[in-house]
Amino acid sequence: MSGHTGAAKKSVPTYCYNCVSGPDLMRVTVEDGVATTVEPNHDAAGIHPADGRPCVKAYGLVQKTYNPHRVLTPMKRTNPNKGQNEDPGFVPISWDEAMDQIGAKLRDIRARGVLDDAGLPRVAATFGMGGTPASYMGTMPAFLAAWGAIDYSMGSGQGVKCTHSEHLYGELWHRAFTVSADTVNTRYIVSFGANVEISGGVCAVRRHADARIRGIKRVYVEPHLSVTGACSSEWVPIKPKTDPAFMLAMINTILHEAPRDALDIPFLRDRTASPYLVGPDGYYLRDVDGGKPLVWDEAGGRAVPHDTAGVVPALEGTFTVALAECHGPDGEVFRHEGVAGRTAFSVMADEMKDYTPEWAADICDVPAATMRRVALEYLENACVGETIEVNGRTLPFRPVAVTLGKTVNNGWGAYECCWARTVLAVLVGALEVPGGTLGTTVRINRPHDNRLKSVKPGPDGFMDTTFNPTDRGNWSERPTGRNAHRTLVPIVGNGPWSQALGPTHLAWMFMNEAPADWPKPTLPEIWFAYRTNPAISFWEIARLSETMAKMPFIVAFAYTMDETNHMADILLPEATDLESTQLIRIGGNKFVEQHWDHIGVALRQPVVEPLGESRDFTWIATELARQAGLLETYNQRINSGAALVPLKGEGYDFSLPTDRVNEIDAVWDAVCKAATAMLAGPAEAKGLDWFKDNGFFVVPHKRVDWYLYPTMVDQGLRFELPYQERLFKVGKELGRRLHEKGIHWWDNQLGEYCPIPEWHDVPGRWTQSIIDAGANPDDYPLWGITTKSMQYAAGNNIGIPLMDEVGRNMRGHGAVVINTSTARALGISDNDWVEVASPFGSTRGQAAVMQGCRPDTVVIPGQFSHWKTPFAKDLNYPTLNKLTPLSNATLALTDATGSGSDVVRVSLRRIEAPSAETLAVGGAA
Amino acid sequence: MTRYIMVADLRRCVGCQTCTSSCKETNATPPGVQWRRVLDIEAGEYPLVRRVFVPTGCQHCDDPPCMEVCPSTATGQRKDGIVTIDYDLCIGCSYCALACPYEARYKVDDVEYVYGAAATATEVARRDQQKIGIVTKCTFCVDRIDAGTKAGKVPGVDPEATPACVNSCISGALRFGDIDNPDSAVSKLVAENKWFRMHEDEGTGPGFYYLWDKGAL
Repeated sequence: MSGHTGAAKKSVPTYCYNCVSGPDLMRVTVEDGVATTVEPNHDAAGIHPADGRPCVKAYGLVQKTYNPHRVLTPMKRTNPNKGQNEDPGFVPISWDEAMDQIGAKLRDIRARGVLDDAGLPRVAATFGMGGTPASYMGTMPAFLAAWGAIDYSMGSGQGVKCTHSEHLYGELWHRAFTVSADTVNTRYIVSFGANVEISGGVCAVRRHADARIRGIKRVYVEPHLSVTGACSSEWVPIKPKTDPAFMLAMINTILHEAPRDALDIPFLRDRTASPYLVGPDGYYLRDVDGGKPLVWDEAGGRAVPHDTAGVVPALEGTFTVALAECHGPDGEVFRHEGVAGRTAFSVMADEMKDYTPEWAADICDVPAATMRRVALEYLENACVGETIEVNGRTLPFRPVAVTLGKTVNNGWGAYECCWARTVLAVLVGALEVPGGTLGTTVRINRPHDNRLKSVKPGPDGFMDTTFNPTDRGNWSERPTGRNAHRTLVPIVGNGPWSQALGPTHLAWMFMNEAPADWPKPTLPEIWFAYRTNPAISFWEIARLSETMAKMPFIVAFAYTMDETNHMADILLPEATDLESTQLIRIGGNKFVEQHWDHIGVALRQPVVEPLGESRDFTWIATELARQAGLLETYNQRINSGAALVPLKGEGYDFSLPTDRVNEIDAVWDAVCKAATAMLAGPAEAKGLDWFKDNGFFVVPHKRVDWYLYPTMVDQGLRFELPYQERLFKVGKELGRRLHEKGIHWWDNQLGEYCPIPEWHDVPGRWTQSIIDAGANPDDYPLWGITTKSMQYAAGNNIGIPLMDEVGRNMRGHGAVVINTSTARALGISDNDWVEVASPFGSTRGQAAVMQGCRPDTVVIPGQFSHWKTPFAKDLNYPTLNKLTPLSNATLALTDATGSGSDVVRVSLRRIEAPSAETLAVGGAA
Repeated sequence: MTRYIMVADLRRCVGCQTCTSSCKETNATPPGVQWRRVLDIEAGEYPLVRRVFVPTGCQHCDDPPCMEVCPSTATGQRKDGIVTIDYDLCIGCSYCALACPYEARYKVDDVEYVYGAAATATEVARRDQQKIGIVTKCTFCVDRIDAGTKAGKVPGVDPEATPACVNSCISGALRFGDIDNPDSAVSKLVAENKWFRMHEDEGTGPGFYYLWDKGAL
């Protein structure tokens, strides 16, 4: 380790990756072996977009390390009964005993087969917060890969707590698992709840701050005045879940009020499916010889395949095609003669005709003039026709973007929002070009580290995308995971991330109560849980905890006690953030706004010695592999890249021996060398010791690679917009398969597979859920929503006093945010105790009475109501997660991608303050 | 001459509390003591509401009212404008805390640890009994400035000579430097932007400039 100021005091470089918006580089000051302070890593100034400054969460890591409530020895449960009110009776055991017990279970499973009689994996694993645990679990991915089938479908909130629909549709349309404005270049952003100053990480905070000084205009559309709202030019308080109507009104304004030449006609014509001719049955008209979609050749006056050389297709209109065929579901081919074909663009324009701002005004409770003005300002700022040079390549310059936040882009209405957002970009040619709307990483497609390379020519002139098959014979009739992602959600695919992106709440629901004609999934025989607390972070958490308590054998990698590992059979203390070793990728294009001008790798290293008997995760993973009889396969997986990069490449070979246990440092030394050799050539290979001194290694990353547009041009591909023939067809096939099995409980979701999204009463679905629960919506007159806080979200921050102390500086932290007039009408004053209830549960907390919230909405930030986690359990903070259902009611609130939204109709009343005794034991919330 | 000042660009600040946390760790302040604090202020009526985040703390005034009332002469002022407290002289009377219009001064009478009864290893390593029973406040990280300048570093330019809160600020809202140096970043920011100083009408001459171009808060 580098010693900056003598032997007793040193500054150690490492990273924080506690949330998806990282990683953040940092240094930790260590005095006489004790970590004392976190500081920025100023060596990264000019390299890291925020100059090596970590976010507030990183500063909690010192207290996290020395939390006296840490689990510091392996423990086993002595009470076989599980439940919130059962004392687990944990007793300390040795690592040998813990691993022997787990090992015996693993070997027994391998002897019987990794799948059970239902075809479901006997081993399941849950990792929290958007894959970030992978940056703390060392070589565990190699063990998981060596094991084989594992069920990742029991999520900790995936699908309902993430920007789920954006993940799926974003990847389909522009390789955008996460979507961002090109903030460094853009001039105008319409943000629908994309609270990037909270959830976008330090790169987003810095870039948007720079943009504000530069003069950017950002319109923030959200029911409450969030931090991002505060930092925006304008706040538009919109009624919850009506965002699609606002966006459709913007499209209507642009299509039906603005002159056509204000749009980017060449982009629409050449880079999208806008000119494709749609037949009367909703499918593309295709060439009878090759099956390619047809366009209308204006010069020749005839329909030709879309990729005909030199053709200038008509963007708008209806044309009579002499002979064409349509490809329907299940390989059906319909031949047409003298058929009318309307361009996809015209079909879209027709569909959008009625969605005027005046139509949307009542739905959104936003003045029509505001929506019209925003649409026209967006158009005005798009700079259609302008170009910019990036790394020697001339690209369109379109400095406008629409960004979407959680609850907008998951659950019902999210398809409409994601589509409308992307179409708004397409209309002005602002998709994947400088200034516009960008994808920043891929997770469903591969390779994960380079989304440009994930682009391959596919059918119909679009990018290739692998859906889960829906044709008869290949459809996964029998679920391969407890959430049935391959069966129900074609668009999620079947890559390593797909299962955890499927409807993860369905796994928890179905294990408790399966719908009619659906086999109730078996429980996994072993469930591994790491950096996750679904007993708090999901919905209707009491019910979920009951399901969890039924699990026969839970192994939890435990930092402190919490509500999930309360149900565990074995607790394993891992050497945590500042105590263990791992190399991860930095820069390039990663989540949210983590696109840099550099790309490289960074080391996490033991800043201090591990406390107690906690052990490095790489040691744990190796021991699990050895116990399971998988050591050789595990080592092979490390060699092939499961610990970050393949250890063998052109001109270098740092492969590890496969027949033995490799020491932790030997593993990471090899990974460090291979990663640097891969980045900069074998001569530049740097080992672990170099990284311990220097922390990170980067090489330049070309800015032109931030944008997908050049790749699309080079490969002659079109963005699959605006018309969704493929989704339409897939939905038809999925419906047939399900109906052939007699399953009709997914029919509502099938309705979402429409080629051009149509408005339906999105918030009405939540009203209907109240009626379905046997209650009267009038008794629940308010909308309950939630929001994140930067200080609290992710990383066990709930148990860290520093994060709570500084979090309290933010209004609404740990409280129920209520509009002033609403509070006055209900006799509620600031800091009064209130109860918020839905038909599914209730929560109590103190009121934060504010002007910056719609009168019909209450906001409960964060996810609290802990009853086990030390420190947190005494806070008495409320949570929306007690109010949102996780039962069959949830099925009606699940969209076709399998996602739901954090929204529920609620009642609100003032209550007497809990007694001091109740508060003292954390029983108030 | 040198006059160190702090600039807080309210157009940049997002209320993340990173500066607060960094300050607390760097200066090992006990629970509840925030030498650098960021306020979350709301103004207006729905739907015309404004929310602004305002970093606060000792303003290192030209004419510090805290110094005037200090009976023990513990509070002092350096030539570079930094207002200091001599912990050996402070008797903990708190007159200064009452006199300060910025609520920037803290007095802790009892030892308190973050996790309750027992000190963490960090608290054991960093605890400073001297700060119990006396008044403390932001020092502009004067020890860093002095050590940094001694090593030839420039406050506000080199991290080694710059207050921890400024080093940590992720949005670039907080800047530090010598306003008497016309070439310093803070001099340029003050010269090129609209700004105000808090409670300036009280004649304190605060050394804390808030950049803000959006009218009354």
